[in-house]
Amino acid sequence: MMRLRPFLLALVLAAAFSINAVAQQAQADTEKFIASLGDRALQVLVVDSQSEAEREDAFRGLLSEGFDLRLISRYALGRYWRRATKEQRAEYAKLFEDFIVETYVARLSEYSGETLKVVGSRPDDQDTIVHSEIVRDGRPPIRVDWRVRNGDEQLKIIDVVVEGVSMLLTQRDEFASVIQSAGGNVEGLLARLREKSGDGE
Amino acid sequence: MNPLSKVSPRAVLASAALFVVAACATPGNEPGQIADPLEPVNRYIFAANLAVDTTVIEPVATLYRDFVPDPARDSVRNFLRNLESPVILANDVLQHDLDAAGVTTKRFFINTTLGVLGLFDPATDMGLPRRDEDFGQTLGTYGVGPGIYLVLPILGPSSLRDAAGNVVDYYFDPLNYYADNTDRGHLTVLRAGIRGIDARARTIETLDEIERTSIDFYATIRSLYHQRRQSDIRNGSAPSLPKLDLTGDTEEDRTASLED
Repeated sequence: MMRLRPFLLALVLAAAFSINAVAQQAQADTEKFIASLGDRALQVLVVDSQSEAEREDAFRGLLSEGFDLRLISRYALGRYWRRATKEQRAEYAKLFEDFIVETYVARLSEYSGETLKVVGSRPDDQDTIVHSEIVRDGRPPIRVDWRVRNGDEQLKIIDVVVEGVSMLLTQRDEFASVIQSAGGNVEGLLARLREKSGDGE
Repeated sequence: MNPLSKVSPRAVLASAALFVVAACATPGNEPGQIADPLEPVNRYIFAANLAVDTTVIEPVATLYRDFVPDPARDSVRNFLRNLESPVILANDVLQHDLDAAGVTTKRFFINTTLGVLGLFDPATDMGLPRRDEDFGQTLGTYGVGPGIYLVLPILGPSSLRDAAGNVVDYYFDPLNYYADNTDRGHLTVLRAGIRGIDARARTIETLDEIERTSIDFYATIRSLYHQRRQSDIRNGSAPSLPKLDLTGDTEEDRTASLED
């Protein structure tokens, strides 16, 4: 027994070190993922070069590549997800994609052509939060945090937080408000999203 | 004459304390969301504010932005911000943040001297960036919640806590005493007006975009306001996401993809 102890201790220490090393490696990978994707996103949104439709298309590609749209749409619907029927969920998923592309393009266009600098990251529950800054000439940098989830061996963004304001929470609050004013009916939200996607085309 | 000049600071603090008690007692309707029991009234004032904004404030802000060159507008803002230093300092101290109090004090002396009465902001370039503090945030660091959401006429989004905080901040500002005692209350109003136009001039495109892309502009602004204040109170750091409860889902729900 006595002889086992140092061995066990060594084993525990080795395990702790390797877990730590793996975690650090994972964090570094996540930072790299954001650095490349974020930069591409800002370049895609450069205003002068393309029409709005072209920008939206390019951004849509990046969005489906780098974001977990299914999870984001579920978060955004919050507790009303449960109340939605299967058909409503399917329609919502389609409309949500149009909605999120339009909002992201509109809100991030301001920063088009600027550079994104990753400044660090930290684990948060099951996610990694990557801190970054959009660096602008002669003006204070803009703080952008990315919530990245590592699901099925693939890194996916689930939220973008600009200066402390989360895109996901904003959408969730907005959707909840629309559903509440429709008397708690998800159909009210679908109608508004349909209208919105109608005038976008 | 300023309407507030007849009110004693003690009475204001007492009523602020009452607000705080009320704010603590008000439950939120959903986790992470700000309670809005006055929503019908708030929506009405919000619509009225939008009308004033479209007809007066935004056009004035646009003219201001288009005809006054950038450096001049920056100097106007720097000057007004430098005047706010005593209010920020008082709140730094009340938040027991002595490092921040040191930064605020150094900024004030550097910008008032080297920065020519605050027209320029050399302190930021010297590694002393500005951090805004107000009594609403101070209450927030004490653990006081926002209470309920309020839309104030002209002034826009606020909360019980933050509106009470604004009243307290009024009394932290030596310039208001000066204006009151010398019957120059119009200076206080003028200062608030210029500050408002300057802030509006910097958000013309952003607000237009948010209005264009939202399906409920009122709810979006309410959410943005609340999140911004929470973030200011935390002095940065990303908010935590609400828990996603997957227990009621079938396997199909969990794996359903967007393309179906």
